[in-house]
Amino acid sequence: MKHRRLVRVLLYAALIVVAFFMLFPILWAVSASFRTDDELYAYMAPTTFHTFVPVQFTTDAYVRLFRDYGFMQPIVNSLMVCLMTVILGCLVNSIAAVAFAMFDFKGKNLIFSIIVVTFMIPFESIALPLYKVALGLKMINTLEGIYIPSVANGLVLFLFVQFFKDIPRDILEAGVIDGAKWRHLFFRIILPISGSVFVTAALVLFISQWNAYLWPLLVAQSKEIRLIQTRLGDFKTEEATEWAAMYAASMLSAAIPLALFLPCQKYYIEGITSGSLK
Amino acid sequence: MKVHKAMPYAMISGACALLLIFRVYPLISTVCESFQDNGAFSLAVYQKLARDSVFWKSMLVTLKLNIVIIPVQLVLSLALALLVNNRLKLVGVFRTLFFLPFTVSSAVACVIWSLLLSQNNGLVNSILNTMGIASQGFWGDRNQALWCVVVEATWVGCGYWMVFFLAGLKGIDRQVYESAQIDGAGYMRTLWSITLPLLKNVMLFVMVANTTSNLLLFTPMKIITNGGPMGSTNTLMFEAYKSAFKYGKQERSAAIVTVLLVLVAAVCALQFYLMRDRDKKEVKRA
Repeated sequence: MKHRRLVRVLLYAALIVVAFFMLFPILWAVSASFRTDDELYAYMAPTTFHTFVPVQFTTDAYVRLFRDYGFMQPIVNSLMVCLMTVILGCLVNSIAAVAFAMFDFKGKNLIFSIIVVTFMIPFESIALPLYKVALGLKMINTLEGIYIPSVANGLVLFLFVQFFKDIPRDILEAGVIDGAKWRHLFFRIILPISGSVFVTAALVLFISQWNAYLWPLLVAQSKEIRLIQTRLGDFKTEEATEWAAMYAASMLSAAIPLALFLPCQKYYIEGITSGSLK
Repeated sequence: MKVHKAMPYAMISGACALLLIFRVYPLISTVCESFQDNGAFSLAVYQKLARDSVFWKSMLVTLKLNIVIIPVQLVLSLALALLVNNRLKLVGVFRTLFFLPFTVSSAVACVIWSLLLSQNNGLVNSILNTMGIASQGFWGDRNQALWCVVVEATWVGCGYWMVFFLAGLKGIDRQVYESAQIDGAGYMRTLWSITLPLLKNVMLFVMVANTTSNLLLFTPMKIITNGGPMGSTNTLMFEAYKSAFKYGKQERSAAIVTVLLVLVAAVCALQFYLMRDRDKKEVKRA
């Protein structure tokens, strides 16, 4: 019994140490975003209590973010892009998934395996060549250019296929006999009972789009259409870095995926891991 | 189920078209472009690349980074998964905390770590000084910057890869452990002979996904180091980016991307091979 208790103490010690390393940088950044640059530097060394906690708590950095840097624009842009990715991504992938999960057609297995293999090509590796395609389609410097290439998503398609496979056929057969069109079946029968998988897919699409960096960096070149992630670097110039403002912007950027992830983490984690177990 | 013949094709056409235009075509076109010179097939770009010292240095940096970062991330994320797989109070809270760095996104993580490990006014140096240790160069030191990338990327990635291992661990029947316990197997023995072999599929998945994401790591170089100091963090991915968008050398960039893709494919193939091999041995033993 004594041995067991020791193990438990050690396990908690390990958990707390790791949690500290994971959490500390984030908390420190939160704290830094509520101070001025001068204060941040003044108390940086030697290490004291005020290295970590503001002397004068101020929202100055956040105010400047919106007043001087026009930060509303990138937030709106990011939200728009993510929303469109979620809507189109859910639609396109779920419709294709219905076909893969419920119908037999010539070349189905071949096409499905090609899709799976193609999706294993990571987006980053084709981002540079993709730029030329986007250039040809006149999608550079447009919001559409940012989200359309990420609409078709292998993981999400796979999620939908897995889910739709388990829908009892009777329900659908009944619908067909009633003479319902497939469009109606999709919207009236499949959609209402597939809430959970759509939530999962939406989360996966939203968070991955929100956190995307390379592609939005390449596509959005003019200031008006840039996203929040690629604006973070703006506070760093050759001469100086505005740390407080940069941290404030970072915290705003992190707040949105966190607000989605924390309440729905079960769905999200099931979503991203489902592909690995099969 | 019976529907009109064309129906399924119509339904998958959206996803397939997007796939062809935005994945398959760019991939093929970039490989083709790298083998071209004035419209004819040519190895000229690669011949140039072979004599390009910047390319070889960048290759070395990429290999150095990945030889360290991939095993470090795999071992740490597996260890974290084992840790939070214990039945303890509040363990769910810890699991969430471990995942947070991934949720805040890699760009934000770079912003945070660029000041933490800053050479002149970084927090870590301040803490080191207080403990009586001299300031380190970190991002500013060409011998340390690459390892700072490892720290930053591992901080972001560990919790993410952890959840895959955790999903695998949850899938293992507890009875297996109980019988092992009855047989008197210790923790390490159980881990080595039962847990790890049962995690093989997940392990393979994480290995491949982790390898690809690390070979193509981009954000820290773009946001923090800019490939420096003195090219010490100038990975192939970043060199390809610079080649296309800073120097306007499209063919060179295409060739580097092709090399990178071959590298990704080769490492993944090696991993598949290694994992398969072990399986055969087990069968033989049985």
